[in-house]
Amino acid sequence: MSSPKTAKRLTRILSMLPYVIANPGVGVQDLSERFGYRRKELIDDLNLVFLTGLPGYGPGDLIDATVEDDEVFVDTADYFSRPLRLTPPEALMLLASGMALISAGQGPPALESAISKLSGVVAPESGGGLVVDLKEPEFVDLLRDSVEAAQVVSLTYTAMGSGETTERDVEPWSVFSANGNWYLSAFCRTADAERVFRVDRIRAVTGTAETFAPPDEPPPPEVRYTPAEEDVRTIIRLNPSAQWVAEYYPVEDLGDGKIRFSSGDPAVAARLLLRLGGDGELIDGPEVEQLVADYRIRIQARYARD
Amino acid sequence: MRTVHLYDARRVHNPRMSKVIERILNLLAFLLTVGRPVSAEEIRFTVAGYEQGEDEAFRRMFERDKELLRELGISLEMQATDAFEVEYGYVVPEGGYELPDPGLTDEERAALWLAAQAVRLGGQPSGPEAIFKLGGVPGSVGGEPLSANLGEDVGLLGDLFAAVVEHRVAAFTYRDKARQFKPYGLVHRRGHWYLVGELVDGEARAFRVERITDLTVGDATFARPPGFDVQRSIPDAPWEAGPDEMTAEVVFDASVAWWAERELGANATVEKQQDGAIRATLPVAHPDAFIGWMLGFVDEAEIVSPPELRQRLLDQVGSP
Repeated sequence: MSSPKTAKRLTRILSMLPYVIANPGVGVQDLSERFGYRRKELIDDLNLVFLTGLPGYGPGDLIDATVEDDEVFVDTADYFSRPLRLTPPEALMLLASGMALISAGQGPPALESAISKLSGVVAPESGGGLVVDLKEPEFVDLLRDSVEAAQVVSLTYTAMGSGETTERDVEPWSVFSANGNWYLSAFCRTADAERVFRVDRIRAVTGTAETFAPPDEPPPPEVRYTPAEEDVRTIIRLNPSAQWVAEYYPVEDLGDGKIRFSSGDPAVAARLLLRLGGDGELIDGPEVEQLVADYRIRIQARYARD
Repeated sequence: MRTVHLYDARRVHNPRMSKVIERILNLLAFLLTVGRPVSAEEIRFTVAGYEQGEDEAFRRMFERDKELLRELGISLEMQATDAFEVEYGYVVPEGGYELPDPGLTDEERAALWLAAQAVRLGGQPSGPEAIFKLGGVPGSVGGEPLSANLGEDVGLLGDLFAAVVEHRVAAFTYRDKARQFKPYGLVHRRGHWYLVGELVDGEARAFRVERITDLTVGDATFARPPGFDVQRSIPDAPWEAGPDEMTAEVVFDASVAWWAERELGANATVEKQQDGAIRATLPVAHPDAFIGWMLGFVDEAEIVSPPELRQRLLDQVGSP
């Protein structure tokens, strides 16, 4: 195996050459900026190119790479006048990230035209073959502005499991999307701890005049879940058709179709069991068992009412 | 005028990597200009950098180089060197090297780069190589307007994307079953990647990419039906994907109405009531998914009609 570094360096050389060929005399400074080179790296790469060319490898066969008065020229290398095609992962990353931004309402007009031009080149006969849908819930824009301004905000937040609604003052650190949901990572002054909130569970955001000093290194934008001491642990046996649970929730696989489900709030496990119906069997978790029984009675009562 | 000829052996760093790069550039220059298939032997004795004594050493080096070309995105094919098809040689096929010019402006390149920085696939933001291929980005671009992770292993997705673009039949295992599939599109929705298209026997399907294993993309191609709408192949709400065609009427109490309204797809009609509750009418194609969602509201929501959905929910609740 060649190292990935070799592939990266070659890619940059084979991208830079067509640019120089199309723009003879481009400045070292401009060229370096455009391709992320430090001056010395660029000169090193031009040095290498200068040693290569066509069989015969005489003066007329080798690529003529020169720097004159800080202007770069490359001659006798017409075969490198077009840039390399994109690999499927590269094309996918560019298109998918552009489409994600556009679907989230964050795409400038230049991005929309770029994506349309690029799709025409990399997937000419598969129009619409790639769809990335990343709708933004309400408040994402507002929260992003608060992050930018390092401004303390008050949230009205309804917890997923318990349905409990609280008012909290938070120092917003970042807004991000993962697993199809949008999250706000923040320092919660009310809880005096770092918290990740689901943006679609935020019912209201009120800005305050107060600002805060953002952390030097905010935590990475991801949903981390580490079971805590006080978490409620439940053991559930899943039917094969309910295996999705193991993919959706951070669970511990106990083998034999059994999982250990940990959550800060027993309501999360109880709602899950209700939802699974016959596909999930509660093996252990008295607190959750009680709650499920309570839910059953409440639902039956509601449907018996009419 | 001052002319600097660049070569200065003392300045070349990392001599081993430099040797590989020189050899690859020579190899590419040769392959892109020779205009006919060339055998490994011819490459060995023509292209500078392959002066290898041992057959085995050459073979290993050449294998590595072919792999490197593939990583760069270059396609290398074997073709007969003469009409009798006695000997085969390597050729870069038409379109196998260069990117057709998409005609991007610098502003468009900068927008693409910004997007690539903000969105991650497989946990990683993409490197700048793809943007370099498109002509680089002038100046430095800052800011991170959005941070989104589209999940999933970019290797598998890349292979599936290639199959979609090249209209190639994909063979894979899904839930322990072997499938032959004509992929028409890749869709990212509600946090998951889906591969949509038709099984070779004609049945329209959508597969969750994270459950696809043992993927092989073969040489067999298919004609993509022009009317296929990838956008509509994955519905807005989970209960809208399925074989049934029902219409449900549901009441959500004031306490959960705000949340239900956010979750209901665009195909639901919502009527607000005086006490803050809402009454929604929505299409249900997948009753199990719908009932699962309704149960999440416990007793703060109720299916009003049809009676059979009410009964199914109660049956599920009643099961001990």
